[in-house]
Amino acid sequence: MRLPSRSLTFLPALLLLSASLSAQTYTLKAPIASKPALLISIGQSADVEMVKVLLDRSKLDYKADPQVKAGGLAASGAKTLIIAIGGSSKGLGAAGISADAELDRAKVLLAEAKKLGLKIIGIHVGGEARRGELSDKFILATVASCDYVIVVAEGNADGLFTKLCAAAKIPLDSVEKITKAGDPLFKAFK
Amino acid sequence: MDSTVKKFPRLPLSLGLVAAVCLVLGLVIPSDLEMRKPDTIRKGPGVTEVKRLSDWFPGLKGSAGDSEVYVLDSGKPGGSALVIGGTHPNEPAGWMTAIILVENAKPESGKLFIITNANASGFTHTDYMEGEPRHFTILGASGPRKFRFGSRATSPVDQWPDPDIYVHAASGQRLSGSETRNLNRAYPGRPDGTFTEKVTFAITSMILAERIDVTVDLHEASPEYPVINAIVAHDRAMKVASVAVLNLEFDGVTMGLEPSPVKLHGLSHRELGDATDTLAILMEAANPSQGRLRGVTDEALILKGQDPFYLKAKALGRLFVPYDAKGWPLETRVGRHAAGLAAIFAAWSEQHPDRPITYEGIPSYDEFVAGGLGKLL
Repeated sequence: MRLPSRSLTFLPALLLLSASLSAQTYTLKAPIASKPALLISIGQSADVEMVKVLLDRSKLDYKADPQVKAGGLAASGAKTLIIAIGGSSKGLGAAGISADAELDRAKVLLAEAKKLGLKIIGIHVGGEARRGELSDKFILATVASCDYVIVVAEGNADGLFTKLCAAAKIPLDSVEKITKAGDPLFKAFK
Repeated sequence: MDSTVKKFPRLPLSLGLVAAVCLVLGLVIPSDLEMRKPDTIRKGPGVTEVKRLSDWFPGLKGSAGDSEVYVLDSGKPGGSALVIGGTHPNEPAGWMTAIILVENAKPESGKLFIITNANASGFTHTDYMEGEPRHFTILGASGPRKFRFGSRATSPVDQWPDPDIYVHAASGQRLSGSETRNLNRAYPGRPDGTFTEKVTFAITSMILAERIDVTVDLHEASPEYPVINAIVAHDRAMKVASVAVLNLEFDGVTMGLEPSPVKLHGLSHRELGDATDTLAILMEAANPSQGRLRGVTDEALILKGQDPFYLKAKALGRLFVPYDAKGWPLETRVGRHAAGLAAIFAAWSEQHPDRPITYEGIPSYDEFVAGGLGKLL
């Protein structure tokens, strides 16, 4: 193992290079979101940690509170909610809550975010492993409330995100890898 | 008594029964004893010392739980890491990765501690009623290498009987009685506990005494289990683990990330992180030979991971990993673990530049998949 070849020291440069080489065009044509952002989880998977890394690298102004409740939204001062979507039995166990309680929290939280006029960006980075009965409950509960959705393609192999976003007329962008999800996410901000 | 009933001569019948029992025992016992012979593990170019768990907890000395600990010291400043293989001896990618590290890795900075057979007792038997082979063979560079395929749990010969309910001593958590012999439900261990708890106590003691920065416990799981091809990380290890997952993506290895549940006790990623300062991480690969949906369980299934029933299960949407006719060969699973370790240590080194952990001599994931394990053994 040679450290430099594997290190993320060069991640920003690699991201820029890959972005310029691929020159991917996105469904979302203009920024919709304002700073600061609040990063939360619906489903309590550790995918929120990877979104955190992407946001840290992009230097976006954000705070993270994966288990925030509706009552905490106004106090957070956030103008945009970034939601890492995906269920994890271990994550729910770590948070000490049941799947049903998490769904109840999500329902109230999303209603409050709409009431406060927050923009909502949903992001699913867990791929195929973050699909299935448990995760799909949270996807179904969340996507319709989003203003924009980003998905790592493997997690949309059956077209669930495509179907949900088309039904609710929500712009959806699909990226090949987690490391490529940071670019459209950053570009969604004014 | 009915005088028409034919009487069989008793002596020949008894002799026949004795002969049959002797025949069965003659077939079973040598095979059983064969499993008590340790696998050959060669000291590679990076090994500077071979210790035993009893060096940190003398209570294990001379017992079947006194596993070897290989030390690979670069002699240069850096961090320290413990790689644990063989927590579950029926999950071969975990301990095979540890063996390949022992036999091939050359540390460049910092110090590696490697346990290949964490539950050495578990390697001396197989799980009953599972129909698993006791050994498998890989054609290595120097000839055939035979390895044991053991049990998930400590042998009843070393720890018996199981209680009806296993109460985890530190937390009071209650589990099924057979879990009392599961090494990964026995952390942080007790010096006066069961055989299995003494082994985990020794590992915990080693981490504390050696101030080990990062601990990675290598496992496998069945393809129908939701936490698979994943890293499970203690809260304090999450920053390293999340960057490692992204590091792996650059190498074309998709890895999930899961948090260590706070209230699930006895597991390495929870208890070692709570009881010591180490960053506790566990990795899972996909192993069809331990799954409940598998068909014939033979050496080929262990080595190739190809099973027609898993193809059907995939078609029915019952698996949490990709699965096709290629299956999950051992070299792919070991390659994932080796790449995972490299990514974790790279993330650690990036976040702790004054305490790097680096080594060479271990192929990349692609090289494992293309080249197999033979040339490394």
